[in-house]
Amino acid sequence: MTALAVAAASLRRMLRDRTALFFVVLLPVLVIAIIGTVVHNPGGFRIGVLAGQAAGPALATSLVDDLGAAGPVEFQTDEQAARTALRRGELDAVVLVPVDLEATLLRGDDVVIPVLAGGAESTQSAVRSAVSAAVARHAERVQAAAFAARRTNSSVAEQLPRATALQRVTPRISVSTENVASGSDYLPLGFGYSAPTMLVLFVFINALAGGATVVQTRQLGIYSRALAAPVRARDLVFGETLSYLTFALLQSALIIGTGSLLFGVSWGNLPAAIALVVTWALVGTGAGMLSGAVFKTPDQASAIGPVVGIAFAMLGGCMWPLEIVPETVRTVGHATPHAWAVDAWITLLSRAGGLADIATDLAVLAGFAAGMLGLAAVLLRRRLSS
Amino acid sequence: MHSVETVPAHLEQTSAQVLIASRLAKRFGDRVAVDDVSFAVAAGETYGLLGPNGAGKTTTIRLICGLLRADAGQILIAGQPISTTATPAKKSIGYVPQEIALYPDLTARENLRFFGRLYGLHGKALNHRVGKVLDLIGLSERGRDRVESFSGGMKRRLNIGAGLLHEPTLLVLDEPTVGVDPQSRHAVMESVRSFGAAGMAVLYTTHYMEEAERLCDRVGIIDHGRLVAEGTRRELVAQLGEHDHIQLTATGDLAALADRCRGLEGIDRADVKDGQIQLLATEGRRLLPAVLEAAERIGTTVRSVEVAEPDLEAVFLHLTGTALRE
Ligand SMILES: Nc1ncnc2c1ncn2[C@@H]1O[C@H](COP(=O)(O)OP(=O)(O)O)[C@@H](O)[C@H]1O
Ligand SMILES: [Mg+2]
Repeated sequence: MTALAVAAASLRRMLRDRTALFFVVLLPVLVIAIIGTVVHNPGGFRIGVLAGQAAGPALATSLVDDLGAAGPVEFQTDEQAARTALRRGELDAVVLVPVDLEATLLRGDDVVIPVLAGGAESTQSAVRSAVSAAVARHAERVQAAAFAARRTNSSVAEQLPRATALQRVTPRISVSTENVASGSDYLPLGFGYSAPTMLVLFVFINALAGGATVVQTRQLGIYSRALAAPVRARDLVFGETLSYLTFALLQSALIIGTGSLLFGVSWGNLPAAIALVVTWALVGTGAGMLSGAVFKTPDQASAIGPVVGIAFAMLGGCMWPLEIVPETVRTVGHATPHAWAVDAWITLLSRAGGLADIATDLAVLAGFAAGMLGLAAVLLRRRLSS
Repeated sequence: MHSVETVPAHLEQTSAQVLIASRLAKRFGDRVAVDDVSFAVAAGETYGLLGPNGAGKTTTIRLICGLLRADAGQILIAGQPISTTATPAKKSIGYVPQEIALYPDLTARENLRFFGRLYGLHGKALNHRVGKVLDLIGLSERGRDRVESFSGGMKRRLNIGAGLLHEPTLLVLDEPTVGVDPQSRHAVMESVRSFGAAGMAVLYTTHYMEEAERLCDRVGIIDHGRLVAEGTRRELVAQLGEHDHIQLTATGDLAALADRCRGLEGIDRADVKDGQIQLLATEGRRLLPAVLEAAERIGTTVRSVEVAEPDLEAVFLHLTGTALRE
């Protein structure tokens, strides 16, 4: 009963703090949108096509169609402009369709299709295989059409649509690759990465910054006054913990809601996601209470909280995937609870994992939460009744 | 360290006695904050703890409210022993701390509701009491405003109000008029007077002699952690015997004049402060000529002489050798 009164008063104060609400409501949504857009993969690669008369001969047109399967195709008018776009990262590759493609193929000669690639090495090789696949598919069709044309004594151009139709009903066989070395299936990208990592970042950072409220309440002498009432120190600590937990859960719900509604994020296996959200809220609560117990002035708490929160988020893989950092940094990063939470979210969202797949992450997070909450409770109770 | 656990004879519990503090002691490291303090407050009585800053008033109060563990001594409130762990017994106490212990970003009503709930009030009873208290402290119109928008005096009143919600048998107020404008101070004192009249036992600390004189039925004078005297104003002043309090305003070598005065028969104390000499004398009026003559001989010019009936200020000076207010 007493704990509830304390929790209600604290929660009311948090919800009334306009500045804090900016950091809790607006900022996360903004950052999810920005990071999700920057670190994204718009359904494939952006491929530029430079062709003399791309829309002209039938064979060139059908090659462009095939390239379209690898990603959005943009037509380029001159090579110089295409190279610039590559350098700027506006395109992942430029396919130079030879002007005499049709003639050469119809003659039965070999054709080389040059591809200009930019960007990271990993992107280059991925683009090369995507373009190769498109070219191979195109070649299959041309061969089939040529074969049919020879047999029926008609033209390749006539036979091409039939070959295309045939190819559509033939099952595609594709190869998927798994990078076993880095421990991750592939780089998590887009909102599926930014939404859960920002949940991790903001729930923690706001809980930590909220430690200032506890310090302030201590300073105001409200706890001391409350202890003159028939109230035990543990009721106060429990009440504050309850308010922080509720607040962290509210914020999580908000980010999950906007993530699904605005950015189309699907949050994976439901029980696993709930377990992760609650465990992470407890970690944030522990951090906030610890800050509230340790710091002497609210200013200390609100100045140091965000710095620690951002540093942990960077180390823990909230800003960029830990897959791209050196091994040692990744190991060090796992000293923060963030890395474990991000790992768990990636397992759930990018690899369709379930509760069992994130059990280790959850256990480690629960350990972090229990450690911080326990320490905070001991310190705070000692501070209150001294 | 005092290990005596018996209650002094004059503090034997009577049914009327709401608070009995006996032989309280508390030290912080080497610093003795409260040293063998005993007193009692009866129902309907307003008891003042009068002493300068650092005398040990707040520490005494924190012991009585079960916020600090005493090194020695006993506290009984409404017959129940109080300690830091005596949670249920704390219900009898209404504690108004020296600082404004309120949430600035909550409204007056929300603050009162919060403290009311800590004392187990809820539902209709809580609403009723919150309304009553807002009336009592004259803040009915401002119940829905945030405390941070209040003046110093309004905050003080609300601070007191938060200690009244559960209708305590003992109300403890720690320097409730510090930092308050004269008008609000008057209002605070009037309401404290009404609590006593309503049968509440009130423990009131202050370093203002006038407040203790005006408000309190009995006063305990505390200095350096010790209760040096206790009684009604009349009893305390009587301790001085036929003493008068003489104030000389003069220019010249005041220290020499004070020295000379100390040598005069009938003068107990002579202290120099702010261009004044404070004398405590038996039958002061008859000594005046001798004092003036001494002044003339040293070459100091006496500008004014004031002979006052002794007050608590004089009692304090007499007992401790220092002025109450520096
Ligand atoms: N928590 C504490 N730690 C150390 N010293 C303290 C503490 N509280 C009070 N004191 C010391 O005890 C003495 C009495 O203080 P206090 O009871 O606050 O006096 P008052 O309320 O009469 O001004 C002072 O010397 C003060 O410095
Ligand atoms: Mg004090």
